Amino acid sequence: MTENNHNAAQNIYKPATMKIVDRRDEAPGVRTMKLEFQDPADHELFKETYRTGMFGLYGVYGEGESTFCVASPETRKEYIECTFRESGRVTSALARADIGDLVTFRGPYGNRFPLEEFYGKNLLFIAGGIALPPTRSVIWSCLDQREKFGKVTIVYGARTVADLVYKHELEEWMQRDDVELVLAVDPGGESPDWKHRIGFVPTVLEEAAPSPDNCVAVLCGPPIMIKFTLISLKKLGFDESNVYTTLENRMKCGLGKCGRCNVGSIYVCKEGPVFTAEEVSRMPAADL
Amino acid sequence: MTKILFTDKLDSCVERWRSAGMTVIGPVQRANSSVYDAVKSASELDLNLVLTDRSIKELFFPQSEPMLRYAITKAEINTDEFLPPSGPRIIFGARACDASGLAIDDPLFGWDYKDEYWFQRRNESVIVTIACTKADEFCMCTSLKLSPDSTKGSDILLRPLENNKGWQVEELTDRGREAFKSVADLLQEGSDPAAATVTVPEKFNADACAEWLKNPENFESRFWKEISARCIGCGSCTYLCPTCHCFDIQDEGGSFEGIRRKNWDSCSFALFTMHTSGHNPRSTQSARWRQRIMHKFNYFPGKFSANSCSGCGRCTRECPVDMGITETLQEISKLSQ
Repeated sequence: MTENNHNAAQNIYKPATMKIVDRRDEAPGVRTMKLEFQDPADHELFKETYRTGMFGLYGVYGEGESTFCVASPETRKEYIECTFRESGRVTSALARADIGDLVTFRGPYGNRFPLEEFYGKNLLFIAGGIALPPTRSVIWSCLDQREKFGKVTIVYGARTVADLVYKHELEEWMQRDDVELVLAVDPGGESPDWKHRIGFVPTVLEEAAPSPDNCVAVLCGPPIMIKFTLISLKKLGFDESNVYTTLENRMKCGLGKCGRCNVGSIYVCKEGPVFTAEEVSRMPAADL
Repeated sequence: MTKILFTDKLDSCVERWRSAGMTVIGPVQRANSSVYDAVKSASELDLNLVLTDRSIKELFFPQSEPMLRYAITKAEINTDEFLPPSGPRIIFGARACDASGLAIDDPLFGWDYKDEYWFQRRNESVIVTIACTKADEFCMCTSLKLSPDSTKGSDILLRPLENNKGWQVEELTDRGREAFKSVADLLQEGSDPAAATVTVPEKFNADACAEWLKNPENFESRFWKEISARCIGCGSCTYLCPTCHCFDIQDEGGSFEGIRRKNWDSCSFALFTMHTSGHNPRSTQSARWRQRIMHKFNYFPGKFSANSCSGCGRCTRECPVDMGITETLQEISKLSQ
């Protein structure tokens, strides 16, 4: 069960109104928006419940709601940041919205990364393409309390240089001496002045060869990348129970009622979206 | 001696309940199908049906439920909430399978987040179930450990008298007792014997099926393709089912004003799980049929300790290609021997 316990008289399907206070183009078709709660009661509830890993349903009335992660960390709850690719009806409407416009948010829902269990451990973050935002929420949640964790390594790859998101933060992480950042683009995706790695994430990860000792890995990316990165992690000696990932599925309610996000018996909206690789391996592969 | 409600007093009961402000609902014939609907007098009720074509679920979880009306300006979003029409209701002449179906879905609509659209109606409804004295070849409540006189989900159970002149009254809940207090003077003490409830033969072994479904090896069995080959994915079985609860949320209207609705949806449809990327975890009809069976007889019981099926048999009775849960579970029963 999640930690959320909403007041019984509340209409659980009614979203909070959010104002777009900032937005940033990350990559072609990919945008980040900074959202501010309009009702202090909604904001209070968010502050009480939000932990890194949880997701929300972002919406535009007339178009509907779309599910994606909260990209901002649990250490910064004054606003919500979300990053999305303009691809369907709702995300296209979100992309048309301007600073000052109002959109909606329902959440935060689901489980979280168990940060307390990561205390004192080395952290390895691995992300591919547009899956950096969910990883970034965990990264900043840890970097904002840096002293509680050991070595921090981030391996991030995208198809092309243009497809790398959060470029300004990559720069910041690159400068920090308490973070090791390994950047890569797929072969052919490099620009003439690209100074970092060229290769697929699993290969780059194996070259970087982080030690599995006292280390937890957080892995987010497209299914094909996850599949091959898990093999590489295994080669490096990581135990599946120390590798965390998030699952995404189509959702309508986010509350365990609309009946579609399950993988086997597991409801991604309530028992997820955060799972260990070991938990995922026990799910029926044909339902993923 | 037991309390008896004689048929000739039913109309006075209906009148009494209605004048006390209750909406009286029961099985009635409508243009193309039989449904549970509001009545003004007992004469409108059709209490001889084995079962209404449509289930009781729509009284609690309507096919399309308006939730919010939105009106948007540059400066604000105004929303009006629609809450379910409130007011006490008495549903007279439910069947045990339908009443059980509601109780089966209560934990689903209540886990962690409480769906007020469901619970407001649940809390304001008295369910008067009539035990079945007839069944048809599709009835299968006994295979689900229920029976034609199950009390699950009911507030009152009526047992038809042998002489067909009325019903023995069994008060099951406070809500039921309260509703029948107002008609106490219309009931009589009597010793008329109740008619025997109908015998519904067991069609499959639910426990054996559950074991088979739980075995991960069977998830990708060829069985799923074979058994579902003729499914046309029309969704009828899910819409008629008293326990199927899947829904969609859709906005009806434009960018500036409109209504957000909760509509019935169905795991039979390909779009149900389709990602924006085009990836679909359940891209074939057989995967979707497997989901339906797994959900009802493996996942749901794992979470809520009850099968998501009360054995009404509508899925099979109304299936345009003559499939249904019965056949699938009968085949699984055979496989698990």
